[in-house]
Amino acid sequence: MQSVNKCVRLIWLILLVPLMAVSQSGNILVSGKIADASGNGVYGATIIVGKTTYGVVTDEEGAFELYLSEGDHHLNISYIGYKPHSEVVRVKQEGISGLRIVLEESTYALEEVVLSGKSIVQQVEEKAFNVSVVDAKKLHHTTLDLAHALDRVSGIRVRESGGVGSQMNFSINGFRGRQVRFFVDGIPMDNFGSSYQLNNIPINLAARIEVYKGVVPVGLGADALGGAVNIVTNTYDKSHVDASYSYGSFNTHRSMVNAVYVAKSGFIAQLNAYQNYSDNNYKMDVEVSDLETGEYYPTRTVRRFHDTYHNEMLIANIGVVNKPYADKLLFGVTVGSAYQEIQTGARVQSVFGAWHRKGNIIMPTLKYKKDDFITKGLDFRLNANFNLGQEKNIDTLNRRYNWLGQYKEYDTPGGERSYSLYYFRNNNGLASANWDYAINSKNKITLNNTFNTFDRKGRNRLATDSERYEQPQKTMKNIIGLGYQYESDNWNVSVFGKQYFQQNKFSTRIDVTGSESEYIKKTNTFNYSGYGIAGTYFITDNLQLKGSYEKSYRLPDNEELFGDIINLEGNINLKPEHSHNYNLGAAYWWRFLTNHQLNFSVNGFYRDANDFIYRRLNTNQAMQIMDNLGTVSNTGIEGEIRYQYRNTLMAGMNITYQHMLNKTRNDVYNDRIPNIPYLYGNADITYNFFDVGGENNTLSLGYNMLYVHDFYLFWPSLGGKDTKRGIPEQFSHDLNATYSFNNKVQFTLECRNLLDKNLYDNFSLQKPGRSFYAKIKYTFL
Amino acid sequence: MRKPSYFLSLVMLGSATLFTACSSSDDDTSGGGGENPGSDSKYVITATPNTSESVADYILTADQLTEGRISTKGNGVEQDGTYRYYVTTNNMFFSMLYGQGNPGAVTAYELNNNGDLERLTNFQSETVQAFAPVNDDILLTKISRNAESPMAYWYRFSTESLTFVAEGQINTQELADKENGEIAFFTWITQVGEKVYMPYMTVKGCCNDTFGTEYANEANIAVYTYPEMELETIIHDDRTSYIGRYFVNGLTVDENGDAYAFSSGIATTNGEVTSEKPSAITRIKKGTTEFDDYYFDLEEATGMYLTDHVYAGNGKFLGIMETEKTSAYSTGKNFVIIDAYNKTTTSVTGLPTASQIQQLTGRNSYVSEDGSVVYVGITLEGSEGSFVYSIDVDAATASQGLEVEGGFITAISKLDPAE
Repeated sequence: MQSVNKCVRLIWLILLVPLMAVSQSGNILVSGKIADASGNGVYGATIIVGKTTYGVVTDEEGAFELYLSEGDHHLNISYIGYKPHSEVVRVKQEGISGLRIVLEESTYALEEVVLSGKSIVQQVEEKAFNVSVVDAKKLHHTTLDLAHALDRVSGIRVRESGGVGSQMNFSINGFRGRQVRFFVDGIPMDNFGSSYQLNNIPINLAARIEVYKGVVPVGLGADALGGAVNIVTNTYDKSHVDASYSYGSFNTHRSMVNAVYVAKSGFIAQLNAYQNYSDNNYKMDVEVSDLETGEYYPTRTVRRFHDTYHNEMLIANIGVVNKPYADKLLFGVTVGSAYQEIQTGARVQSVFGAWHRKGNIIMPTLKYKKDDFITKGLDFRLNANFNLGQEKNIDTLNRRYNWLGQYKEYDTPGGERSYSLYYFRNNNGLASANWDYAINSKNKITLNNTFNTFDRKGRNRLATDSERYEQPQKTMKNIIGLGYQYESDNWNVSVFGKQYFQQNKFSTRIDVTGSESEYIKKTNTFNYSGYGIAGTYFITDNLQLKGSYEKSYRLPDNEELFGDIINLEGNINLKPEHSHNYNLGAAYWWRFLTNHQLNFSVNGFYRDANDFIYRRLNTNQAMQIMDNLGTVSNTGIEGEIRYQYRNTLMAGMNITYQHMLNKTRNDVYNDRIPNIPYLYGNADITYNFFDVGGENNTLSLGYNMLYVHDFYLFWPSLGGKDTKRGIPEQFSHDLNATYSFNNKVQFTLECRNLLDKNLYDNFSLQKPGRSFYAKIKYTFL
Repeated sequence: MRKPSYFLSLVMLGSATLFTACSSSDDDTSGGGGENPGSDSKYVITATPNTSESVADYILTADQLTEGRISTKGNGVEQDGTYRYYVTTNNMFFSMLYGQGNPGAVTAYELNNNGDLERLTNFQSETVQAFAPVNDDILLTKISRNAESPMAYWYRFSTESLTFVAEGQINTQELADKENGEIAFFTWITQVGEKVYMPYMTVKGCCNDTFGTEYANEANIAVYTYPEMELETIIHDDRTSYIGRYFVNGLTVDENGDAYAFSSGIATTNGEVTSEKPSAITRIKKGTTEFDDYYFDLEEATGMYLTDHVYAGNGKFLGIMETEKTSAYSTGKNFVIIDAYNKTTTSVTGLPTASQIQQLTGRNSYVSEDGSVVYVGITLEGSEGSFVYSIDVDAATASQGLEVEGGFITAISKLDPAE
């Protein structure tokens, strides 16, 4: 703990004393290294001094040497695939050595360069998998969280039940809930608890987000049925500090600090801290009930009154980089808490005024990475974490509220929904190891193993001796994957197999009057194997085809097996869902008139899923329970067009259509699955004005539109047309303006839901109307 | 611009094909011959589609129950979700939501002169576990299953004003008055004379055995005055286990004013049936608040136990019976006519066998006004469809009638056109 404190102090020192210049004085030799974001030297980059013709080209290591006169010099660095970079160096008599300049990847090509240098974003997208990449850095000026950034990707729909921190439902091409798995830097995000969820993590935490639709590569050791999302966090190979704060409608405050300290010795300390707070007291159009008579008054506009949400997170890592025994070895801890008031149930008629939840996370982590481990070409990665966090459900006031915030109270014990004061810990542990072995430049083997444990301990504080009746609830999950990849000049292919193993232990304590209590032990074990293939072929440099197939499994989740304490009863006999996923896609890049670029991509997909896990009511209808009930097929297509003119104008749109059908032989055989958006898309345009009010100052104006076609809440074929319930067509328009001052300070103004339309993701649960946010981001170094 | 537009058109073409492919099927018109001898009244039939996700219930109307076909396809009034419960009183049809503790909207319908269901009102109600017409009201109770909060709440809803007019609380732990702290859980509500009789089971309400009990061999009925809802007495009996079941009525009054009590004998402890008493009928004579010596052992008479009953008239009941006592929540699939006066039973013929039946309407079956026919909705196994069966009570024979396409039949009722 001492070293962590030291590190924190150090980081604060950096924070408080910004811009303590790196300048040295002396002689005329200036040497250093040009590197990319991951720290690798950039070979062949040109460095031109000011407006002169004097310059050099970097060597294989990215190193360079320049001889300059005393004084200030502009260094202009350029290389294909990177943004041109300009840096002022103040040369004094001692000269400069070890100057380190990091080039930022660019998704557009430089004027004079034909598209051949590829950004990481492009490299990922050109994989054989059906993958979309969000370049999160481009969104760092916005007040978006990760979920809302993902909402702009084709094939993805994020649905929320309300404002900041509300319950979120994420779907990729119709697959949703736990059929989609989430990762942070390749580490599964399973059971991180309520304080660490996609819609409460700011976008600034991420460098990019990879979305795998359908087939998931073996390196992400997951039992994903319909796809996976991998959040790649910011990495810095030099000391860096930035901080941001935003304020907006509904008393929403968000702030974030990113700080990294890298010593020459290889010591590294990282700190990410962020916070979200919102009253979420936006207006709703509702029928207000009379608490005594049950009568509904005509629709009126009221404010939400019990929907405050806040969370605070701190992610700290300390360790070493670039040592003989480790490229990276980080010990860290993630600490955080969340508080959530619950305003409504599944329908707007259920209003609550006191029920709330709390959660915290205390998660030690270990990250280890070493290339050429034991033998050359063998790259090894190990990650482990353990969540000691606790969740609480607090419903102890026996009241009934209406939308005016009025309530009637009973003086007897009871709750608004279910009298409860339950504290529990899930004790989740995770370890994942990954080996990549490059046999030669064309053949690579990947082995991945991911191990998960769960051991719930909880008690009801309202029941005096509830511990006596607590049941052991344990699961152990292991997924092992083996993949082989062959890469040629214009095509590559990967084949892989995965083995899914899960063991669930559960026992019921039986108390018989007058005799010893006993446990009835149950153990369920699942063992399944899946496999897949993915391939891509470049017909020309500009035209890519890709196809993939996977037979995948999704193992039952701990909550589905053991319940969530509140509303979900466990079903220990749940079987895994499984699916056949097929994808076929094409992408085309076209440059014309030197400065214009158009990208097209289109993907078709087909999914055939069985043993779908659905919710139903349990036998005495007191709680919900998950059950294997359905067979579903989904055929769909998604397309995207993007246009870019220099770095000035960027525009794009995407659209997704899916035809998801019920294939279970029942009353709605072949009917479209209801309550899932099936036609939706996004359009966006950004225009940058350069050198506004001074050199290096940029003004950027952006617009984003979201469209969702109307859809039915219940099965489309059933019921009289005029009696059917549904979610109406949605158009939402967002505007933002950002002014960047000298790449140091960014001011952003944002307006969401510009036209103040009533928006709904879920039936009757209205979302916020027009809202405004302002954000400031400052990069210290 | 050639290649891009090619791709664009590919997207468009692809979408267009899919759009065409998913155009909705033709609307079915409701079946039924349209014969409607001498009356404008309509049968109201509710159906729940046999599927597991996004299920809503549908309210259909039909002119008769003995033949024809109606469908939920493109037809019927869609309800806000499933787990709806229905009650017809004062010529109004109420659709209530079982919202697992959440309050929800209840909708009341009446039949207009065009023979269509018309929404009268929406009002907010709690999720309740028992409800029944009492005089011109509907009495509803929300019952705790948690010994830490042992309260039942009752609500009096007036079908005249269509609003709640009174409410109150009952401490179910005090009512049960058990040494181990078990709480009373009302199985159902029955108006007997001018009073309200509420049979209950005692349950632990805790310790992973919420609905289990240590008192598996006793029957209790709480008697309340109405409309004050003051506890008058508790009627107790040791010859049977509790009267009724979870969400199932066990007490019915005949034309003489005598109340017949039906016990299934399926109280459980830790999931095992521990009742030693057989499924049987006992009786409370009119005007009294105690069981008399009437006793009819149904297990002895039929070899089965009763899971639900429908009163036809003249002492005759339709009994719905199950063979094996495995769970407190099973629904029987065997039908017998029980003559409670003569203590005889007759199996109903002409119905599908138990193994052919997937689901059936119990309490929500419809009895003809003269009590001679009971209409039961039965869904057959193997996608063989749902039908209304008419059971001739005197002959104990049944015949297949109206087909309901696209759902389980959950309730059958009848409305006359509103004035």
